[in-house]
Amino acid sequence: MGVFETSVEATIARWFGIKPPNKPAKRLTTELAATIKAFEALRGTLAFEDEPSSFEAALLATKEDA
Amino acid sequence: MAGLADITLIQAADMVASGNATSLELLHACWANLDAVNPQVNAIIWQEREQAEAAANAADEAVQNKQRRGPLHGVPMAHKDMYYQAGKLSTCGSALRKDFRPSVTATVIQRMADAGAYTFAGLNMAEFAQNPTGHNKTFGDCHNPWNLPYITGGSSSGSGASVAARFNYMALGSDTGGSIRLPASACGVTGLKPTQTRVSRYGVMPLSFSHDNVGPLARTARDCARVLTVIAGHDPLDPTSSHEPVPRYESFIDGDLRGVRIGVPTNVFLDGADEPVVAAMEAALLVLTGRGATVSRFELPLMDAVAAYGGIVSRVEAAPIHAEWMRSDPQAYGAHISARMYPGYAIPAAYYVEALSRRGPVLKAFAAEVFGKVDVLVTPTIRTCLPTLEETDIDHGPPGTEHKFMAISANTRPFNYLGLPAISTPCGFDPNGCPIGLQIVGRPFAEGRILKVAGAYQSDTNWHWTRPPVLAAVA
Repeated sequence: MGVFETSVEATIARWFGIKPPNKPAKRLTTELAATIKAFEALRGTLAFEDEPSSFEAALLATKEDA
Repeated sequence: MAGLADITLIQAADMVASGNATSLELLHACWANLDAVNPQVNAIIWQEREQAEAAANAADEAVQNKQRRGPLHGVPMAHKDMYYQAGKLSTCGSALRKDFRPSVTATVIQRMADAGAYTFAGLNMAEFAQNPTGHNKTFGDCHNPWNLPYITGGSSSGSGASVAARFNYMALGSDTGGSIRLPASACGVTGLKPTQTRVSRYGVMPLSFSHDNVGPLARTARDCARVLTVIAGHDPLDPTSSHEPVPRYESFIDGDLRGVRIGVPTNVFLDGADEPVVAAMEAALLVLTGRGATVSRFELPLMDAVAAYGGIVSRVEAAPIHAEWMRSDPQAYGAHISARMYPGYAIPAAYYVEALSRRGPVLKAFAAEVFGKVDVLVTPTIRTCLPTLEETDIDHGPPGTEHKFMAISANTRPFNYLGLPAISTPCGFDPNGCPIGLQIVGRPFAEGRILKVAGAYQSDTNWHWTRPPVLAAVA
């Protein structure tokens, strides 16, 4: 097991007291590296916003007109 | 042989209303199929026959007394086993809840009861609504009525399989990443995921509260329209439900697609698609253009952001709901369920907040670019031919099985993060005899529009009427 996976398992154990339940769980832990990469790729692509945006407001703002 | 169980929900309701059939006759017609085929399909996990017959008799007596309750009067139903009915079993597909009897009734169940429907069974489902295949460790896998070794799609596996096998006229499913549209596609029925907030989730087992949706699986778009009209609308018990007015959705289905602009994504949604699936979609587009629609093809924007953020939201929101059981009894879950939840505990809160805070701006940017050009998007619901249960069995399969498993929902997940309404309608069969689904997506609260397109398509095709071979031996 690599350093990354060991670190993830330790984090989950420390913060939640949960151990890997099975081998597929250990395998899927490695996919968090892809999650981090995906977030890295989005850095700088979206503008800073002064106010939090409401998703519900966005649904209404983009809705189909009757 | 076709019979009373083969008709649509609307036909069933109309027959009861007109006295041309009784509710009890409908119920018994459904049970004839259920008794013959459920041992193979495994769509039903519990039944309440005595109570159902009493409800049917009461519905018939009400008709005789000219006291029809509403547009679903006398229609027997069965739902995914995560819709709470006070005092009744609601297993959520899990050993951890095999004896759970909630103290509340889901608003959608109550609204359908107020419209005259009644429930006779609980339907198989993925454990805690968490797989796209129909595997279930506790109640047994659900099998596709079209070809038994193949997946039904999930997580509303029993909903898709039971409607296809004519055990009922309609079933509620839930859709967090495709769980209505996938079983609709795989089982050859029609499934509608409404706009996020369109339908109350009160009394419904939660999975990811930002992405969870309630909706119908039925034979036709028109059936889905009728059910949506009954269940949609604000619910004080679910403050997240929308105050938007609820139209009579059936009125949108007029067969006229003149002026309707269809967009076909050229990126993501056909990556790795199988040829029979692409051919079925192209044939469906010809049907739609024959009704007056126009088609344009272009790249959808922001798909990387939608995939990254959407994946975060679903995984993080499921994690705390299951934390106690993941600590105390992790082996009670199927391995693929606990394995997929496990990494969710390591995702930083800042990622989750970023994913949620970007959701509105991403939707606005997506809608401005896409719905400025077209009215609806069309894609395959599942981009490959259906895999078998064995090919997607993470619990017992080799490493890498999870990739085939996750590919099933690749075309449906994006629209949960975006919160858009989407419908799947049958549009053909793959070489293994399994159904292919066409996904039609609209802008927020455009359920009427996508029902109109699906309804027009179904006016010119018969895929949704075809009976699965498993029923061949049923008299």
